[in-house]
Amino acid sequence: MSISDAGILSRSRIRTIVTSRPFLTFAIVALVWIVASFVSRGFGAYGHLRYLVELAAVIGIVAAGQTFVVIAGGIDLSVAAIVTVAAVGLPLFAIDADPTGLTPILAVLAMTTVIGLVNGLGVALLRVHPMIMTLAMATFLQGLLIIIAGGSAVTASNPLVSWVGNARPFGVPAGILVWVVVSVVVLVVMHATPFGARLFAMGAGPLAAKLSGVPIATTTMAVYGISGFMAGLAGIIVLGMNGQGYVGIGDPYLLASIAAVVLGGTSILGGLGTYAGSIPGAILLVTITALITVVNASPGWRSILFGTLILVLLLLSGREAARR
Amino acid sequence: MSAPILAARGVSKGFFGNPVLRSVSIELMPGRVHALLGENGAGKSTLINLLSGALRPDSGTIEIDGQAVGHHSPSEARRAGIAVVQQELSLTSSLSIAENIGLGAYPRRHGLVDYGALAARAGAACDLVGLHEPLATPVGDLSLGRRQMVEIAKALYRKPRVLILDEPTSSLSATETRILTGLLERLRAEGVAILYISHRLEEVMRLCQHVTVLKDGTCTADRSLEGVNAAGLVRLMVGRDPGDLFPHWTSTRTADTAIAISGFSAGAMQDVALDIKAGEVLGIGGLVGQGQEDLLLGLYGAIPAKVASATVNGAPGLPANVPDANRRGLAYVPADRKREGLHLIHPIITNLMLPAFARMPALKLRSRSAERETAMRLATQFAIKGDLGRAAQALSGGNQQKVALAKWMPHDPSVLLLNDPTRGVDVETKREIYNMLSGFAASGKAVILLSSDTPELVHLCDRVAVVREGKIATVLDHGELSEEAIVAAAMGAEREREAA
Repeated sequence: MSISDAGILSRSRIRTIVTSRPFLTFAIVALVWIVASFVSRGFGAYGHLRYLVELAAVIGIVAAGQTFVVIAGGIDLSVAAIVTVAAVGLPLFAIDADPTGLTPILAVLAMTTVIGLVNGLGVALLRVHPMIMTLAMATFLQGLLIIIAGGSAVTASNPLVSWVGNARPFGVPAGILVWVVVSVVVLVVMHATPFGARLFAMGAGPLAAKLSGVPIATTTMAVYGISGFMAGLAGIIVLGMNGQGYVGIGDPYLLASIAAVVLGGTSILGGLGTYAGSIPGAILLVTITALITVVNASPGWRSILFGTLILVLLLLSGREAARR
Repeated sequence: MSAPILAARGVSKGFFGNPVLRSVSIELMPGRVHALLGENGAGKSTLINLLSGALRPDSGTIEIDGQAVGHHSPSEARRAGIAVVQQELSLTSSLSIAENIGLGAYPRRHGLVDYGALAARAGAACDLVGLHEPLATPVGDLSLGRRQMVEIAKALYRKPRVLILDEPTSSLSATETRILTGLLERLRAEGVAILYISHRLEEVMRLCQHVTVLKDGTCTADRSLEGVNAAGLVRLMVGRDPGDLFPHWTSTRTADTAIAISGFSAGAMQDVALDIKAGEVLGIGGLVGQGQEDLLLGLYGAIPAKVASATVNGAPGLPANVPDANRRGLAYVPADRKREGLHLIHPIITNLMLPAFARMPALKLRSRSAERETAMRLATQFAIKGDLGRAAQALSGGNQQKVALAKWMPHDPSVLLLNDPTRGVDVETKREIYNMLSGFAASGKAVILLSSDTPELVHLCDRVAVVREGKIATVLDHGELSEEAIVAAAMGAEREREAA
């Protein structure tokens, strides 16, 4: 390849990056931050922005699992319930013999991964529609939580959980660090492994993927398993940040995870997209919530405003392109 | 002579830079049955879609009653009295006969559907086509031929001035065809303009007065049928000796068994025995939908199959699933490449690499440069035109088919299962695919070629298994192969009955 060719290639590559959805979503976030810090004093302070990203980490981690599922052509409506199960269930696994607090965390992650695998089993082998399967799972888990936890909140006395929720190694909240690690691993798995390529193929056309030899059942189970794992991880971080777990603690993360995925440009129909978009998508959502809180409105109006803003943003950032 | 009701003047249409129609004109006169002939992929369907407003021409005009129509749309076409009976049925199987016939044009009273009036009018349309099933029968319960009659009744319900029929008789029985012929005669006498597409030349000779022939998107004849014979029509359609299209046939069949099955049942196929040798091209023929596809899918592990005994590439038993079939050296190229063969929204390179992704260890890191190298090699080998980074939907049908075939080559499959590989593919690509097939066989692969194109079977295959009603009716050797022999075997049952 000649030098001039390389020049053209890199220029076109720059154009691809600048016009890509992840980049545009990042640009919107930056724009909103700049405007908001002029309008509202204190919004642009380092501490406040860091706090926003810390909140976004939880959404971002749930959205990581959701992105896998959506790209593979499904949807996971049980993530909110799984977050709650993790947050409320963790104290149940407390073992006195383990002073580090690692055992309960591993137990909870294993449990939520199994919940995800059961979702996948229903979708792949029993051929239940993903919406029905995961919605039924959510309802099932909510019932289970009420029986186990009752109405009372549980307090975590797990040192590792509190560390994840509150520590700031090198001045960065531990939750954000976890999110960074998750993001790197997710992006590599999604875009640099055959497993990732299979997801995109399944989402774009399950029949063509099957006839090309993609193992549909195991891949489907894997994505829902990943989604369960991520929701469990998010639940542990939420518990650490809150100090207490209660039924309903995970509720905000269902719509948020799906909105982050779609705002980031991933097709809700599957087959197209990237987690690189869901990352700024999550930060954008948190930012909007923060802006709405600044506006002194009643909770009802805040909710209405939030929903409206998400719709407007989706309209602005381009709707689903028509498929032939 | 009176003026045409519907006409196209110099219309051209291309898809993704691939011209399908080049400056074609056609005039549909009242009281005339106009035949539209041409091979698969000649542009007939595109022309119909332009006339019915489903597509817009890139250039040229559509005229209704001598007036050029600016924005021809399906609804405008309906208002102008243009009705189309599509080749692919457009019926809703859960709705009743009457509801399907009236769909979109229900009679109303006080804003509600007037079911009484609907039944009366739909019943009248059904009588015309000799459809005597109760009007409340769900269309899903009807056979393909009866559904075709519902489709025709649906067109008549709208009292059309122009009736376009796309291969209406391909799924009809002899009696139903006779009813349709009588009906068209009557409509013609009433002054309806009829456009009739069919591959059955004797039907065309009997029914039509005028003919337009398309070949590779251009009009090669537009003339009265008077004084034209069937052989002349074929020459106009093909424009060459069919022998040119096919490579010279030499058998490369060996004594080694690639696949041997007995007591095989899958889908519509029941108790089939078959053996295929390495280096052989085995054709699968028969009327459409006799279970041929189930035979391929069952061998490929894509649908459940039972077997009394089976050997596939030396190992016993059928593949349990598709990944297992791939491991054992089988590859399948589906007929419906848009849904089953490719991912149109994904880049060409991703499509070419998918079987590799399916077989590699799930979490091994990919090497983009190695993928690029493989894809470039395949693209060169198969003469796939186009930038590999672009979405596969930008490719022409022929190039898409080549991608669907090429993607298996890195795995060097020893058995190729091909399901109608040349359907909707241009002539040039057909020739390339035929050459590839003989190349595969010559390199010791076994090729199973399911085809709805009978000349293909005659010119390419060592043997042809003709399937009828889920069984292999006959296996013809190359020496016995002719289009007549295959068709006769495909229709065997009816013949015997007539002979008795």
